Amino acid sequence: MRRKFFCIYWIIFLALAQVSSSQSIQIKGFVDVTTTFDQKKVSFGFDEEDLFITAVVNDRISFLGESVFKYEPASPTEYGVSIERIIINYNIKGNHNLIMGKVHTPINYWNDTYHHGRVFFPTIERPILFAANIIPLHTVGIGVQGHDLGKLKFGYDLFVGNGLGSSEIVDNDKNKSVTLAVHIKPADKLRIGFSWYNDVISKGASVLGKTINWQVNQHLFSLSLSRFGKKFEVLAEGTAGFNHTDTTGLKTTFATYIYAGYKIIGKWVPYVRLDNIHYQQGEIYYNKNNMTSIVAGLRYEISYLAVVKLEYQFQHSEILNNTNIVSAQFAIGF
Amino acid sequence: MCSLSNAFLFIVSMLLISSTSRSQEATLVAVGNQSGAPSVMKFSELKAVLMGEKQRWKNGNRVIIALMKTNTPIGRATSLKIYDMTGDELNKFWLALVFQGKAQAPNFFNSVNELETFVAQNPGAIGILNKPLADAEIKPIMIDGQKAF
Repeated sequence: MRRKFFCIYWIIFLALAQVSSSQSIQIKGFVDVTTTFDQKKVSFGFDEEDLFITAVVNDRISFLGESVFKYEPASPTEYGVSIERIIINYNIKGNHNLIMGKVHTPINYWNDTYHHGRVFFPTIERPILFAANIIPLHTVGIGVQGHDLGKLKFGYDLFVGNGLGSSEIVDNDKNKSVTLAVHIKPADKLRIGFSWYNDVISKGASVLGKTINWQVNQHLFSLSLSRFGKKFEVLAEGTAGFNHTDTTGLKTTFATYIYAGYKIIGKWVPYVRLDNIHYQQGEIYYNKNNMTSIVAGLRYEISYLAVVKLEYQFQHSEILNNTNIVSAQFAIGF
Repeated sequence: MCSLSNAFLFIVSMLLISSTSRSQEATLVAVGNQSGAPSVMKFSELKAVLMGEKQRWKNGNRVIIALMKTNTPIGRATSLKIYDMTGDELNKFWLALVFQGKAQAPNFFNSVNELETFVAQNPGAIGILNKPLADAEIKPIMIDGQKAF
């Protein structure tokens, strides 16, 4: 009986293995450890463990899933799991695809390209416009995407989603968010992109733990330019956010950053990044806090799966005190 | 004594330079499954395909890329000659593209025979080798009018 059980077990195991191999499943991950010197003390920590799975289901359908395990003080175990992306991709024709699920909103280059993969980040942390929640990082919905079309290698994303204030399962209102992003790659390793995002956030919606007491009509316009050449790297992005409420009228926020790095002696890359966020007086949707940050660092690329960064950051904030932080990070992919 | 050591250094340097240039000048050939890839391509078209910029061939077959691993001599030559990258840069390029959900990863192989069998068995597959093969199930692809490049 026992032998029969093992026999059946192995047949099922081999059959599943066969299915896996025919579906080309890949499992990858990213993790990092970081140490910081801030307020006259050294702290050790880590960001998140990021696991992602890709699978080719058949000739036209593929899947990408990304889950993150991270420290969450409010959780009973002090750790939380979040689904960052669930993407079912259906190839319609040529380079045109139908995308369904939860995506990194294709609003700018950083969000669409790196997001959780710190081994790819050119700096230790994301630009400050991410922490300030200027752009919606994720969208759950459906859209079409195309890439490398024509001589200019034109690409587009048109995505309709539940919008801000919605849960992962159900929309909180009838309004849908719309993201339209286009880009071209006119020269080798050069990419220029533009995007527009619109959402109407209902009165009473909860966005990132904050209750919105007014209906907000939001338009975001983003521009980005990136060139990661053999030696010189540059990435500049800017978002103009227009939030309209009946109480305050139209308020404008500008968030920009520019990163530049230069590869010297093999795998060493010194770099700088300048960030700035400026809110118009009377802004009530975002947490108004004008900020400027300067980052200067050195990156050593041990291999494509292991990167060490040492960085100094000065941050000036309208509300908080100025900060001077020195950080080091060891990021790996596996 | 000094001139002897200088001569030794000179010879070692020359050997190193010649071996580097040899790997850069290694000849490569493109091969494809009988179904999918065309028999003639421009080098720029080949590069675009191998950079993941094309999802389907004209006959509708999905483009499937087959490459030698970047730690093999053919893989190194492929990285340099087609992608203008080191092996590490090529691996990073693909990992990033797959992570973004923008492309399916290429299939990497340890041996020429494995790559050849894979291309023969998968419609739409295109691969890079170092010499033409006498295999009826695989077709050579002329690049800029040449069998090898």
